[in-house]
This record gives sequence, C-alpha cells and structure tokens, in this order.
Amino acid sequence: MAFFSFKRVPLAWLNLTHDRKKFATSLGGVAFAVLLMFVFTGFMNALYDSQVQVLNRLNGEVIVINRLKNNMFVPRSFARRRLYQVRAFDGVADAYPLYISDGNWKNPETKKSFAVRTLAFNLGDPVLDMPEVNEQISALQLPNTALIDTRARAEIGPTDAGIVSELAERELKIVGTFELGTDFAAGNGNLIMSDINFLRYFANRGPEEVNRSFATADVGVVKLTADASPEKVVTALQQALPNDVLVLTKEGPNGFVNRERTYWQENTSIGFVFTLLTTMSFFVGIILVYQILYTDVADHWAEYATLKAMGYSNLYLLGVVLQESIFLSVLGFIPGCIISYLLYTGAANATGLFFQMTSERVVNLFLATFVMCLVSGAIAVRKVQATDPAEVFGG
Amino acid sequence: MVSPAAEISTTPFAPELAIKIEHLNFYFGEGELKKQVLFDISLDLPQGQIVILTGPSGSGKTTLLTLIGALRTLKEGSLQVLGQEVVGLSNRALIPIRRNIGFIFQAHNLFESLTASQNVEMSVELTSHLSDKQQRAADMLSKLGLGDRIHYKPNALSGGQKQRVAIARAMVNHPKIILADEPTAALDKASGRDVVNLMRHLCETEGTTVLMVTHDNRILDVADRIINLVDGRLESDSNPETYKQSH
Repeated sequence: MAFFSFKRVPLAWLNLTHDRKKFATSLGGVAFAVLLMFVFTGFMNALYDSQVQVLNRLNGEVIVINRLKNNMFVPRSFARRRLYQVRAFDGVADAYPLYISDGNWKNPETKKSFAVRTLAFNLGDPVLDMPEVNEQISALQLPNTALIDTRARAEIGPTDAGIVSELAERELKIVGTFELGTDFAAGNGNLIMSDINFLRYFANRGPEEVNRSFATADVGVVKLTADASPEKVVTALQQALPNDVLVLTKEGPNGFVNRERTYWQENTSIGFVFTLLTTMSFFVGIILVYQILYTDVADHWAEYATLKAMGYSNLYLLGVVLQESIFLSVLGFIPGCIISYLLYTGAANATGLFFQMTSERVVNLFLATFVMCLVSGAIAVRKVQATDPAEVFGG
Repeated sequence: MVSPAAEISTTPFAPELAIKIEHLNFYFGEGELKKQVLFDISLDLPQGQIVILTGPSGSGKTTLLTLIGALRTLKEGSLQVLGQEVVGLSNRALIPIRRNIGFIFQAHNLFESLTASQNVEMSVELTSHLSDKQQRAADMLSKLGLGDRIHYKPNALSGGQKQRVAIARAMVNHPKIILADEPTAALDKASGRDVVNLMRHLCETEGTTVLMVTHDNRILDVADRIINLVDGRLESDSNPETYKQSH
C-alpha cells in the first residue's frame, strides 16, 4: 500500500483543516512554541554576538592587551611602549593603540546622564575596519568632536550629526554617525573620537576617576605584513615581551574574539538560562501538538476504528497522525518565523543588541520544530494503535 | 447440530458456504477473570442468505459478529470465512480477511471532514482500483439514491442518508459478506425500513451474505433466516414466520 499517493483521499489534511477555527488555533499553538524558541535563542545569540562586534572590527591580525584584561569589561590598560617594541619584530607591519574609556553622556533632550563607551585612536592609524568611520576621519580632527553610534539605546537621546551635548561634563559636538550596537561593556552606546580629543575628556577627571594619558593603551592592534603567520608572530612576541601583556591572534579558536565569546558563555548564566528556556519551549510545543493530535484521534476514535475494521493497518493510521504532525510543524513554523523576525527587529531597535536571524539558525529551529511535532505524533499514535476495531460494535 | 434449518446445509464443506462455524468457543479475560461468552457454536451460512441474529442483551451476538468479522483473535473451534480458517490467526493476519467483508455499524462512523464520496473512496482505496475510485463511489451512492448528494459532507445529510453512505462504503468493493450491527437503531421507522430494503435489494442482486444483529422487530421480515442466541448458545434457527409465531 502506498501511503502518500496523490490519488488517495488526503485524510490527514482534511481532518486537520476540517474545523477552520480549530485549525487556526492549532497553528497558533505551534507558531507560539516556535516564537518562544526563536525569542530565547535569539536573545542568547544576540548577547553573545553583540559582545564581539567591536572586536571583529579591529583592523589587525594580532592583538596585545593587559594580561589582567580577561574580558572587555575589565578597564586594564598596558604600557604603550610595548607597541613600539612590537613594531621591531619580523612580520609586523604596524601596531596601533586603541584607547577605551567609559564616560557619562548627557541626553540632550532629557538632560539625564548615561554611561557610554568611547573608542579613540590616532586619526592616522587605520585601527577600525569600518568604512563609514574612515570616511569621516577629517571631521574628527576638530576639537571636542565625536561620531555617535546610531544603534545606541534610545535612552541616550537622538543620535544624529549636529547634536551638541556633554560627555564627562564637557561639551561635545557630534559630527557624524556609525553603526555598531551595544554590548555589556559598552553600556548604552559607543562614541568614536580622536586620541587628542580623548585626552581632552579623560586626562583630568578628578580624584575618583582614572586619569588617562598616551602612556597606556587599552587594546593594541597589530597589523602584520601579508606573508607573516599570525601564530608565529604571537609566539615570538609573547616570548620576547614582558609578561604584563598578553599577545593573541584576533581570529582562531584561541583568538581574541573567541576568548571574549567564551568568557561570556562560561562566566555568565546567559547560556544556561536561555538554553533552559529554549528547551522548555520545545517541551511546551510537544505538549501543545500532542494535545492537538490526541484530540483529533479521540474525536475520531470510532471512525479510525472503522477504518481498522475495514482492513486498514496500524501503519496507515500511524501515517495519518504523522502527516498531521508534519503539516502542523511546517505550517506553524512559517507564521512563527515571520513574527519572530518582526520581534527580532523590534528587540534590536530597543536594546541595540545584535539580533541575527541567520539561515543556519532558522534551519536549526525548523528542525527542532519538526522533531517536536514528530515526537508528539509518536506519542499520540499510541492512542490509535490501542484502538480496537471490535469495540465499535454495539458497546 | 440440532436445528432443522442448519441440517439442510450440513455438507462437509460446500464452496457455496460463506461462513462455516464448528464448535466455536470464545472467552473474555484471562486467568481468574476468564469468562466464556460463546458456547459450542456451530452454524453454516450459505452465500446470498440474509440472516438476522437476535437475542437478549449480553447473549453474545455482537461478539459473534466481531469474530466473523475477523476483529478478534480466536483459539478454540473452527471458523471459516469464505473458505479461510480464522481460528489461530494473529491480529496482523486478520487484516486481509477484513477486506472481504463490509461492515455497517449502529453509528454511521463517517469522517465529518470527508464528503460522502470521499468516505466511500476510503473503502475503494483498500483495493487496487485507485484510478476509477470516484466513479465507483459515485455509482454505489447512486444505487443507494444519493446520486445528488455525492459531494455533501455528513453534516449536510440526514440520519438515514448518512447510514446509506455507510452502506455504500461497506458495499462499494462488492464484498461477499456484509456484517451489520443494529443498522436501524438510530433511525426512525420510515428511514430504517428504507435502509433495510435497499440493503436487501443490493444483496439479492449481488448474491451477498448478510448477517445482521438487530433488536428491531419491524425489520425481521427482510431476513431469510433468524437465529436466536441466548446466553452464548444457539437457541433457535428458523424463518421469520416461525420465529414470529414462537416469540
């Protein structure tokens, strides 16, 4: 017997869609479970992805940092002269300091202050691999100017060129914008300025703050010559330089970017919490779909038993229930995915976090949905198998 | 074998027999709870006969019907359906036997989501006639006077019409045997009569054997033969006239 022949009466489909209202509710249930899974994995990935956004934009193959800076949140800097030492090594084309400091930015509209992160560098150094920033370098040469992150959180106010407000209680003029987004270390958003302007804001902040100077840098970005191997340079640098600095490749499994991601994965409960929530949504989905399928089998108990009496095998009925579960998984996934996409966009705008719906993640969640429906189908099928055709008689 | 009617057909095995039962015993439950419901039943049903099985509640008549329908596994005695021994067969081996039998239930048991035609087609799909299944379904529905209701869903049909769709489903593959369990119980007098007459007409033209369990005294006259079952034993086996006189 061919169970999926197109000539057959599509019993699974007709049973599922017969009651439009019930069908819509069923799809809503599946879509809701899909939505939950998307939201939870979305937040988890957004939190991780966001942490490494700045690191990914660093224009170098090797990174030098203070050994104590085990994540971007630690405000430890290292002696800038280490970068001069680095420049002397074979394979190193150049080494640029990046200065990072937190400062309070005053929302020009509400006059309330919010912590933002300032990234600063010598305007002659191509420290960031961000074309939109590099195009606006000349504007940053003026005193008290900066670029602002358009994906900063809404609290810090409008993010447009021309705005004048205060950073660390000094006037600052916004001369342009860029797109980056927030992470844990960034606070509410990012500013980019020249190293000279950086000193204007952070060199003399008073007794309770760290006073910055050009003697220390936060991240050293090392540009290699085209033929140099990052791993070999890292080994050579680490051996020669004092132990106050740590030298890492930027990419790779032990690289700077991965180290940051791993830090947040291992030292926060983000992963645990969101994986737990995703798993719970998965099981909620199983229960929902099981209820739908079980109700269908229970409602049509006598009809299914009649089919058995007519000579249909358990295998056919199993096929009907599994087909129903497949229809539910596919048709419930589509609205769930679309609503999730809208929600991702909304959440990205509201939080400045980096919500990515990559095709890989969509496929993974579709597979999860599919498995979810199959598991429910497999449980519901037991009810059909237990159906005794002899019981339809009389009773 | 005591009844005179049965004696007529007591040949060793005649091919014209649709059902041949010899010394059949059947039990419900296991171990301590084991309870015998059918005692030493022996019965021959020739092809083309319309037989009504009657008796008080709990007499085992529905059980006998499900046994003949190959819906339960059997261990004792002999039960041949269309020449094939059913006793000793596993659940899986019973499935192909069911396909030679048409079942009609007290409730119509039609899928609400399928049209009359599709409900009947579900039956045709058990055979290899997939390509002309719609034609077959339509023909059978027309014979039952539902030619203009082929694409109606059960919701839009009356009780009698639904039962006629169920009959069409049972008969569309031209089974040699029809088993019916109180087919008129849910119907009013006129539609009940209507349904039985149609069944009788179709079975006569196709030579189908019908075994019908019923309490409905109004339809006894359609039968060629009435078998009375009491407490799991064959009590009497007669024609409708004799039966009416004695009851």
